[in-house]
Amino acid sequence: MTDDEDERLAAWLDGALSPEEAEAFAAALDADPALAAKAEAWRANDQALAGAFFAAERPIDDALIARLGLASVPVAANDNPRRSRLGWLAAGSALAASLVAALVFTVRTPAPGDDLSAALERTASLASVQLADGRTLTPLLTVRAADGRWCREFRSGGETALACRKDAGRWTIEAHGQAATGPDAGSIAMAGGADPAPLDAAYRRLGASDPVSAEQERALIGKGWN
Amino acid sequence: MQPRIIALLPRLRRFCEGLAGTPYDGDDLMQATVERALTRAHQFDEGTRLDSWMYRIAQNLHIDRARSQKRRGTSVDLEAAEALTGDDGRQITEARSDLAAAQAVLQALPEDQRATFLLVVVEGLSYREAAEAMEVPIGTVMSRIARARQRIAEELAMIRKPARQETAQ
Repeated sequence: MTDDEDERLAAWLDGALSPEEAEAFAAALDADPALAAKAEAWRANDQALAGAFFAAERPIDDALIARLGLASVPVAANDNPRRSRLGWLAAGSALAASLVAALVFTVRTPAPGDDLSAALERTASLASVQLADGRTLTPLLTVRAADGRWCREFRSGGETALACRKDAGRWTIEAHGQAATGPDAGSIAMAGGADPAPLDAAYRRLGASDPVSAEQERALIGKGWN
Repeated sequence: MQPRIIALLPRLRRFCEGLAGTPYDGDDLMQATVERALTRAHQFDEGTRLDSWMYRIAQNLHIDRARSQKRRGTSVDLEAAEALTGDDGRQITEARSDLAAAQAVLQALPEDQRATFLLVVVEGLSYREAAEAMEVPIGTVMSRIARARQRIAEELAMIRKPARQETAQ
């Protein structure tokens, strides 16, 4: 296979071809089973690797923000970054063959990152859905960013986050906040909870609209956010 | 600028962890990146993207560090790092295991290909955005991302074989 063809394949996976080029490449895929298999393998590898990053995401908490010199508020005394940092060092360095095998054997299952996208793509606000990794995800509201992207705030695993939709149904996390305590899913206005600052900043940065109505949201989900 | 930096911390942290290879080194790199961004805030051109600027700072710092580490020969080898892990190493969550495995594959890539893969595939940047963040032409992004994927496929193919034999025993 030529480098050129590899580059076209990569650009096709990334949605970076012009409509004409994409059409021509789709025809080439149909005609060439080996190329199609390679495309499928590359896509699966992408999902597995990117998914591994998203599934292992660590929350950005107040202590971290203070440590980075981004907050004027002093760190709480009970913060213990040293210990957790060493814990993560252990996790990150343990490159035993069994762990590599874990990636190899999970390559074909839907990556958690995409699981998140799928959940945000299809779930109405205030409805809950269980992700493959066992966490529950509850979208809270939908807004539109100034650049036209749709964004949703959601709660999962004890924190709230804001994700925006890129093309092809892929949602990427823009900001994390800490969830309000208590399971009161009805209090949308309080969704930022104990630490609304990161989400507020993200909303400002994105130039977000007011949340859309439940009816508008249903329509968006129905027609795939286009 | 601080609230805007806070807003992009999740992305910056992932990128730094991917560059540096471990959560510990990644957070260290993120910290250095944020520090440099804050001290050089006056150099940031408001007409450009803050995330691209910070990705670029992170990458430059990472390359500097990798170079000086090589010179000093102080990089921790894997065996030593594993010996450090002790009991904590057994309590890793499944998600961290998957990430460690993913990192093992990504570490096989040259620095420039790894950075490109992280920006385009993990962070979802367009080729143009990635080109801006790395200060290279779009054509370079295109060839790097294709080579990165080819290399990843080869690495995974190599890993898969022994892994299968192991489970068969």
